[in-house]
Order: sequence, then structure tokens, then C-alpha cells
Amino acid sequence: MAAETKHATGEIAAIRRADGESRSLAASLPRLVLEARRIAANVVHGLHGRRRAGAGESFWQYRRFVSGEPAQSVDWRRSARDDHLYVREQEWEASHTVWLWPDRSPSMAFASLQSRDSKLERTLIVAFALAELLVAGGERVGIPGLMNPTASRSVIDKMAQAMLHDDAARLSLPPSFVPSALAEIVVLSDFWSPIPAIRNMLAGLSASGAHGTLVQIVDPAEESFPYSGRVEFVEPEGAGAITAGRAEKWTDDYVARVALHRDEIRNETSRLDWLFSTHTTNRSAAELLLFLHSGMMVSKASARTATVKAGRSA
Amino acid sequence: MIAGLPLSFAEPFLLLGLLSLPVLWWLLRVMPPRPQRIEFPPTRLLFDIALKEETPARTPWWLTLLRLLAAALVILAAAGPIWNPQTGLAGSSVPLVILLDDGWSAAANWDVRIKAADELIANADNDRRGVALVPLSEPARDITVMPGGTARVALRQLAPKPYSVERVETLPAIEHFLKVTGDCEIAWLTDGVDTGRGGEFLEGLSKTIGNRALTIFEGGTPSTLALVAAENAAAKMTVKVLRTDGGVAAGVVRALDQKNSPIGEAHYSFGPQDRETEAAFDLPVELRNDIARLEISGERSAGAVQLLDKRWRRRAIGVVSGSSSDTAQPLLASTFYLTRALAPFADVRLGDRGAPQQVIAQFLDQKLPMMVLADVGTLSPEIRESINAWIEQGGVLVRFAGPRLAQGDDDLVPVKLRSGGRSLGGSLTWEKPQHLAAFAAEGPFAGLAVPKDVTVNRQVLAEPDAALATRSWASLEDGTPLVTGEHRGKGVVSLFHVSADMRWSDLPMSGTFVEMLRRIVDMSGYTSKPGAGVASEATAETVAPLHTLDGFGTFGPPPSTAKPLPADFRDRATPDHPPGFYGPADGPLAVNTLAAADRIAPLDTTNLRARRASYTNAEPRDLRGILLSASLALFLIDAVVVALLGAGIAVLLRRRAAPAALALALVLAALLAAPSPSFADDKDDFAIKATSQTRLAYVVTGNADVDSIVKAGMAGLTLFLAQRTALEAGDPVGVDPAHDELAFFPLIYWPVAPGAAKPPQDAINRIDAYMKQGGTVLFDTRDAIEAPPGEDGASQTPGMLALRNILSSLDVPELEPVPREHVLTKTFYLLRDFPGRFTNGQTWVETLPRGDDDDDASHPARGGDGVSPILITSNDLAGAWALRPDGQPMLPLTPGEPRQREFAFRAGVNIVMYTLTGNYKADQVHAPALIERLGQ
Repeated sequence: MAAETKHATGEIAAIRRADGESRSLAASLPRLVLEARRIAANVVHGLHGRRRAGAGESFWQYRRFVSGEPAQSVDWRRSARDDHLYVREQEWEASHTVWLWPDRSPSMAFASLQSRDSKLERTLIVAFALAELLVAGGERVGIPGLMNPTASRSVIDKMAQAMLHDDAARLSLPPSFVPSALAEIVVLSDFWSPIPAIRNMLAGLSASGAHGTLVQIVDPAEESFPYSGRVEFVEPEGAGAITAGRAEKWTDDYVARVALHRDEIRNETSRLDWLFSTHTTNRSAAELLLFLHSGMMVSKASARTATVKAGRSA
Repeated sequence: MIAGLPLSFAEPFLLLGLLSLPVLWWLLRVMPPRPQRIEFPPTRLLFDIALKEETPARTPWWLTLLRLLAAALVILAAAGPIWNPQTGLAGSSVPLVILLDDGWSAAANWDVRIKAADELIANADNDRRGVALVPLSEPARDITVMPGGTARVALRQLAPKPYSVERVETLPAIEHFLKVTGDCEIAWLTDGVDTGRGGEFLEGLSKTIGNRALTIFEGGTPSTLALVAAENAAAKMTVKVLRTDGGVAAGVVRALDQKNSPIGEAHYSFGPQDRETEAAFDLPVELRNDIARLEISGERSAGAVQLLDKRWRRRAIGVVSGSSSDTAQPLLASTFYLTRALAPFADVRLGDRGAPQQVIAQFLDQKLPMMVLADVGTLSPEIRESINAWIEQGGVLVRFAGPRLAQGDDDLVPVKLRSGGRSLGGSLTWEKPQHLAAFAAEGPFAGLAVPKDVTVNRQVLAEPDAALATRSWASLEDGTPLVTGEHRGKGVVSLFHVSADMRWSDLPMSGTFVEMLRRIVDMSGYTSKPGAGVASEATAETVAPLHTLDGFGTFGPPPSTAKPLPADFRDRATPDHPPGFYGPADGPLAVNTLAAADRIAPLDTTNLRARRASYTNAEPRDLRGILLSASLALFLIDAVVVALLGAGIAVLLRRRAAPAALALALVLAALLAAPSPSFADDKDDFAIKATSQTRLAYVVTGNADVDSIVKAGMAGLTLFLAQRTALEAGDPVGVDPAHDELAFFPLIYWPVAPGAAKPPQDAINRIDAYMKQGGTVLFDTRDAIEAPPGEDGASQTPGMLALRNILSSLDVPELEPVPREHVLTKTFYLLRDFPGRFTNGQTWVETLPRGDDDDDASHPARGGDGVSPILITSNDLAGAWALRPDGQPMLPLTPGEPRQREFAFRAGVNIVMYTLTGNYKADQVHAPALIERLGQ
């Protein structure tokens, strides 16, 4: 209980900090204009942001009921206000929805001595900044299970509010939901979850044809394993503990095991045509943001050949 | 008992437990410490890593050591250690004979010795044995076997004797006693010091006791120290410190006066093998003469005290020479011979500064006990009167003849003199140089060997009269007196009829001269107190003890056994004559425990068949408590370390180490930096600036106008020097004589403002020292134009008056206007005068020594031996040198002839060159003659 409270207060502090830092970070990047890659071929759609009624998810306008229309299209709540009948029209949805998933699980609170930020702070900063950029570019940003997609200019505030009032359990990976086929998904996590869990998540998210990016955010200590002597390692999410008699002897095995873990993840992502990268918290956050930015700007195919990497990627 | 250590165990077999320590060590090494706990997100991956061989991490070695130490302490404590265990002789029923050393050498550790004896008696008493107590200083004492209680009372009444004890003298008594008693056990409490006949005693003792059991108590006490051979040498008082065994040691010798108030301290230190070292008191002779007692601080024994009487005092003798310019040939001057002859046994004060009259008055004020007047002629009546009064009070006056005395006539001679001297062996005389014939039997020189090689060429003659024979102390072969003397009041007047240098005789070079002077000096008093003269001292009288030392070296009333001794007693103290002061309180005779040549040696008892025991100088002490609490403390430390080792401290240390070290370093740096205020830096900066280049200096007067002109003037001169000469000096420096070090500058220009205040005494002293050490000060009153008309108008200007005020407290040599042939006029340019802004001022310089037979014409240039320390002008040299920044002159000249400024600069160049090169140019002018002589 005490540990949870501690984590909660840590998270609040991290959100407050990320709120400020992400704005300055986002301001430093050019407007992110997302290419509507999937609908590029569709002449009708062209660039998204049609600003007229059509097939879409969000409300556009109420208009008078025209006889001959199906009765179920009448918006009865609106029509009850006066003497006319009204039909609720949705905006013609041509814009992207970008689903961001910042991992806020207890394991993200880890920060070794070498790094300035904890992984959680870095994740939130990047998520907020990315959301700000995307909204500025006309996209809609949501957090699965927490916040519906919005194009509000104050998206950072909304995200922060949503997180602060979130009393659900903190999951490492996004809950399974079905994004639209055009949606983009960005998962920021440390991905220390078992490979089957990651595979399940990927399968669920990509079932509808959506694409995305996985970014593994790790602490430098998790890369280099700078421990020596008799050390008891404890998994912060309660998965157990293990004692190393001479931790310095474990380093080589550990590094190899991490590389193997990443290879497995990469196998999954490349099979689904997703992106996978790693980011170490002792590098600058702007580096990661640039990578994500450019990764969304170019087309998926070219992104794979262009070896754009953020930080040390395994 | 453990060898070498006064330590024993109640249950020594428990020490076997120490063998278990290696096992414990192994066990401790195996136990792992608590692991460091780290939250590590990728721990799941670690699960997959094949489990390594899990060797337990080692305990840090120091932690193991800590635990082992604690365990060892517990084991040791269980064995019941005792420090200083009781050492009684036990297990016998025969009487116990205690031989006790009680000479001065036993005094320092007397308590230890008495305690050991007391323990022995107590143990014997417990065993119901009789005890015989034999102090080895009392051969006549009756030795009896006493019950323990009586023996203890007798022991308490013993005290160390203040003199050296020869143990061998008690041997017959011991032998007699042993013969009567039969079987007994003997314990000898020795002090380990052999004062001469120790070997004899050991031999006798081993013969006497036969096969009776003997235990020797020795060692365990600090080395015995003694003082001998105090000597009041010329520069310091020295005393030898003796000891019996080796090792490095050091200490302090204290000097006390008659009233036991401290006068000084001297440190001594022994080398590892030394048995003898020296302590020296570096004190003024007046203080040294007051020393009545030297003692080794902290050593309580009569041998560590050295008493001094008037024989150790040094007299101060004033020497006055009538000839004024003795310094021209110092090795031929009469003062040289006198100083060399008197120095071995007296402090000579030379009156070579000032006229004889003043010097004599000064010496009389200092109340010197003896004065030597070498060829001093006529004295003023006041001086004569005061000398006479001084002689009546006990002063000793020795005069030497010479040309001046031969002409003079006064009553300060023992006999009436014929005026004019007598030459022997000259071309106009028919007598040969005379040899010394005899010393008068009643005179002070009685007993001196008559030297055969002393000849007298010239002397002053006494008018023959009836008293002459009694007053003559030494005479020549023809019967004329060489030395005459007379007692007047309490003092003495004596006259050598020859001079104190080699011109009249070769007596001053002979050893007899030294002996004669020593005899005369012996007649004089020792201090400045009137009435301490010789005449009052009787010879072969006996003196009664005044106060004597006890064995511990403290003064007390003389014991009833102390007997009077002859006044010329020089030996060491004996039972009849304990050390102390004898005779009158104002001039006592000192008798010391040890004579100057005495040495002490360790007593070597190794050949004696005996048990050895050591003095234990403390109560037996149970060490269990200490060991157990130490062990408990170690366990506590261990617990704390273990508790913190896991994470807390390690993390804390790692995280805080760097900033903490930084903070500590900063604090240290701040502390180090704090006590070096900028003042010291300023001084160093000044010194570096002044010495990195030759610089001219000027005194900052505080008057802004004057200072700016002088600064510009010195800069102008520096520039001129760089243009015309090889001297490229740095920027001139303004100095404040009260604060700045002056020694760096060859020349200091001192503008004297009218009405300038006299500098503080501190500054005066610095200037005086500067001038004495070879510096030159150029005083410029800058007001030649204001001189009122008249004969001595130039010396009446306001600047001159201010200068006179300044110079009044300086030791200024005799001055003269710069003569035409002075080297100052030739050092660089050939100059006739030294103009500045004005031309009518006179330039003054130290008077050159002028030989009697020199005629100026033969010397185109003359320089003294050094550079004149002072130059005085009123021509405002700096005003003439001063240039504006644009190179134009700053001030107009008076009268303003075209070449006046050029000559002013040349004067400056000559002055600077004079201060830098001295009399070099005076020699240079001879160069043509020298080259000519070489045949060129």
C-alpha cells in the first residue's frame, strides 16, 4: 500500500514536470504535418481535415430533417427543443487518430544514478510533446482506455487531467481495443513484459490494420548492468526477487539476454510492419521526439530503409 | 611474569583458547553479509540467466579482524591478566637482609625504591621473618635483625644522601653481620649507578655472601641524570648532562638565581648511545652572572643540581684607546692585543666609538669592575674625579703607556712619572733593549715564570722614590719598573710602563701578557656592585655552611654534621661537607655533589650470581575490566558496521562522497587562505618589484606637489641614465621608510620639505640601518635660492632646519663639502660642482680619511673605503631632472644658463654611479701610471 502511494505521488510529480517540459520541447519542433499515407490514393479524401459533413466519428452540425430520410437519423434530443426535426451530422472524418500509450507502471519509476530523469518522466515528456505536435498538425490524439481522441489545443492539459484522475491499475501495455484501420499507435514502454504478452498486444492492435511504433525506454543501468558485489534484485511490479552473489559476473549474460529480448520484439514488429526502437534516458528527449516525428512524416516503407534511430537501439 | 613486561595471568592455561582463533577466522570469512537490495525492472530477464555458482561474498577483512580481536580480548580477559604483579620474595623462613643504595643517584627514584623495600618487608613480615635494613651510605651503622614493623619505621626514616656513596665501605659491616647471623636471604635495591668503585663492591659482595640467596632489584626506572662541569664561556654558559644508559632522550636544564627565580632554560638531547651531552644557555653575560643554580627539570636529586658561585661569573672589562684612528690598521692597534689577551676569561667592551672621555664616562655609568686605558693622555678633572671615586669603591684601573701618556700628567697612575719616554737600543741611545727580569714576590704576578724572550725598546720612567720598590710588580733587568701598581681604597691602580701594542715592546705578543692580565682581572670585582673588590677577600680562611642541599637537591639548613671548609675548597662534596653554599651570603662558595671531571657509569651486575627483579612502579592492576569493555566496544562497532554495510552507509557514502569531499576541500582551502592576508602579499610584491630590476628610490613626503615633481625627476634621471650609461634602471619607486624595506635600493632620494616632521623612531632606526649597511641617502632641501645672504646663510634655510631636525637622531658621520678630488666628481663625468635647479647650494659628503702625510696634489682622486652613506644638497636636483610626459622640462632653472640642466643630469649620473661603483674610479685614475709602468 505504501509503495503504491509512493508510486502515485511520484507519478503526479512526473506528470506536472512533463507538462511543463513537453511544451517547450514541442515548441522546438516544426509543425508536424502528418501524411495521410493510407488514404493518399483516395482522390476524394486528399488531405484530411475536410471541414464538412460526411462520414466520420465526431459531431459536425445539426441540420433540418428533410423528408424522405430514414427516421432513425433524427436526433430526437435536439428536435425536442423546438418545433422542427433535426438530423445530427458527423464531420467527414478524414483525419488520423493517433493513439499514444505512455507506460505508467511502477517499473517505469526506476532511475539509476547515471540518469537525470526516471523512465516515467521521460515517457510522459515525450508523449505530451508528441501529442501537442500532432494536435497542432491537425491530428487527433487519444490514450486508449483513458482519453478519447481529441484535437483540442489544450491536449496536454487534457491528458494530464485524465492521468491525474485515473484510478485504474497501471498497466505496462495498452489494453486491447480495436483502433480504426487508419489509426496510428505509439507505445512508449520499457517492454520488460514477457514476450507472449507483447505478442498478444501487437496482435490485438494490428488486427484492424492499424500501424504503429514501439519505443522501448530504458535506463542506462538497464543497458550496462553496472552492479557488483552481493545484490538482491527486486522486480518492482511484484514478480519476485533474485540475489546475485557477485553481480559483476552477471553483466555479460544480462547484456546478451537483453539483446535477445529485443530481437524477439523486433521480429514481431517487423512481421507486422511496425517500427521498433529503443531510447536510453541519458540521451536527450528531443532525440526521441525527432525520431517519432520523422517516422510519421515519411511513409512507412521508406522509414524502414532509412535507418532512423533514436538513441542506442539494440 | 612475562619476560620484559610486568604482566602475569591468573589462569594462564585459558590462553590456549587463542588457538581457536584460526577456526573462528575461517567461520567468519564464510558467513556472507546482507546483500544490497536494488529495485531493478528487468529482473524477469535475470531469472532466465543460468544461476551462477553462488559463492558467498567475503566479509571485508577488516571486519573479520575486528571480530577476531574482540574474541581474542574475551579470551585474554578470561585468563585473568594482572599488570605489575606483586614481586615479593617468598617461600623461605630465614631473615631478610635489604641492602639499599641511598646515595644521590638513588634520590631520583627514591619512592620506587622505598616502595619495593616496603613490599619486601611486608612479605617478610607475613612470613614472620626478621628483616635487617642496610643503607649502603652508612658504614658505621649497626646492622640488626628487626621485626617487620620496626624495619618499616626505620625505612621511613631513611633519606638519600646528597653526595656520592661508595658502597664498598659498608662491606666490612655486612660481612660482620652475616657472620653473626648465619643463613639469610639478601635483597639489594640498587640504583644502577657506578660512581667509581662499583666493581670492587660487586667482587667483595659475591665473596661475602657466599652461597646465600641474593636478589638484585634493578631496572624499571628512568635513567639517572647528573649535571657536571658548568662553564661560563665567552658566548654562553654550558653544562654537561650525564646519564647511565642509552636511548634517545631530551630534557631541559633550568637556571635559577640566588633567590630561586628562574633565569633561563636550555634544552639538551642525548643521541642513542651518548652518555654525555651538553646544554647551553645563550643569555647576556649580566644574566649569566646571576645564575646561582642549574638543575635538570624534573630530576629530583642532588647530582642533578649544579651550584655556581662567583668563580663562574664573567667580568666585563672596558677597554679605551687614546689613539683615535685605530681602525686604519686594526691588527696593529693596541685594542686588538688587549681584546685577544682578555677575551678568554672576560668580556671585553671596546670603547671605539667616540672620544675616550665619553667612553670612560659611559663605562663608569655601566659600573664595569675593571677598565683598561691604553695610552690615554690627559683627562678632564671631572672624569678624573669620578674615576678616582670608582677606584675607591673597588674599581680596577689598568693603564698602558704610550706617546700621549708620556706627555700627560695626572694622578691616575701608581707612581710619579718622568715626563717623556725613554728609548732603548735606538741610534741615539747606548742601552740595549731590555729583558724582563723579575716579578715582585708580593705583587699579583708572584709565581709567574719570567719569559726570556720579551724585550722592551721604549718605556716611561718612574721618578725614583721610597715607595717605588713596593709598588713595582714587575721590573726590567736594569731594575726599572715595567709594571707598577697600588691599592687605593678597595680598588687598584696599575700601570704598564710600555704600550699595549708592538711599538714599544713585544710583551703584548707573549703568553705572559695574558697571564699577567688574568692575574689583574682576578683582583677585580665580579659585578657592578661596589665593594666586591678583591682587597676584602682573605685567603686561607674557613667558611661555614650557609645552606646545603639534601639528597633530593632542595636547599635546607645545614645538617649538624656539616663542617666548615677552607675557602679554596674545590673538591666534590663529602659526608662532612655536603653540597651547598658556604660562607657569607653575599659571596658564598659553592660545593657540588660532583666535581667537574666526575662521570657516572652503569653498574654492571651481570657477573653476580643472583636473581633479578625489576622495580615495579605501580600497583598491581587487574586488566579484566579493561579488556572486557574493549571487547564489548568492538562488538558494538561490529554490530553498527553490519547494520549499515548492507545498503544504508554504502549508498550514503557513495552518493555523498564526492560533494562532501569537495565541500571539505573548499572549507580547508578557505581556512588555509584566510590567515594569509593581503598584507604579506603586498610585502612580497614590493620586494619582487624592487629587486627584479635596479631601481632608484625616493622618499614619499606626503606633499602631493613635491612628490609628483620628485617622481618625474627620478623618472627623468632614469631615462637619462638609460640614454647615456649602461644602467637601464626600472621605474623609480616611492618608499616610506617607516614601512618599506629599504635594503633593495642603492640610492634613496629624500626631498626635505620645509617644516617636515621628524620621522618616527622606527623609521629612523631603519634609515640608520640602511646607511650602516652601505646604502646612500641623498637629502635635498630644494631651497638653495631661499638662503639668506651671509656667511652661513645656506644652513639657515627652512629646509636645512627641517633636515637638521631629521638628522638629529641619526648617527651621521662627519661631513664636508665635496672636495675637488673626491671620487664623486669623477665617477662618470668630470664635474666641478653639482647643480640642480639652483647652482649656489653646497653639496656635502662624508669626510674622507685624510692621511697625515698625504698631499692632495699626488692624488687626483680619493675615495674612502666605502660609499658615503649620506649626501646633502640644497640645489633641488629632482626639480632639474623632472620632465613632463611630452619630454619637455617641468620646471625652469635658476639662473638658467643653457647647459645647467645638462650638468644637473650629469651630477645625477655621477651620484648614481658613485653609489653603484664606490671608489672604483679612484683606482681607475691610476691606470695610465700603471700602464706606463708596464712598459707600454
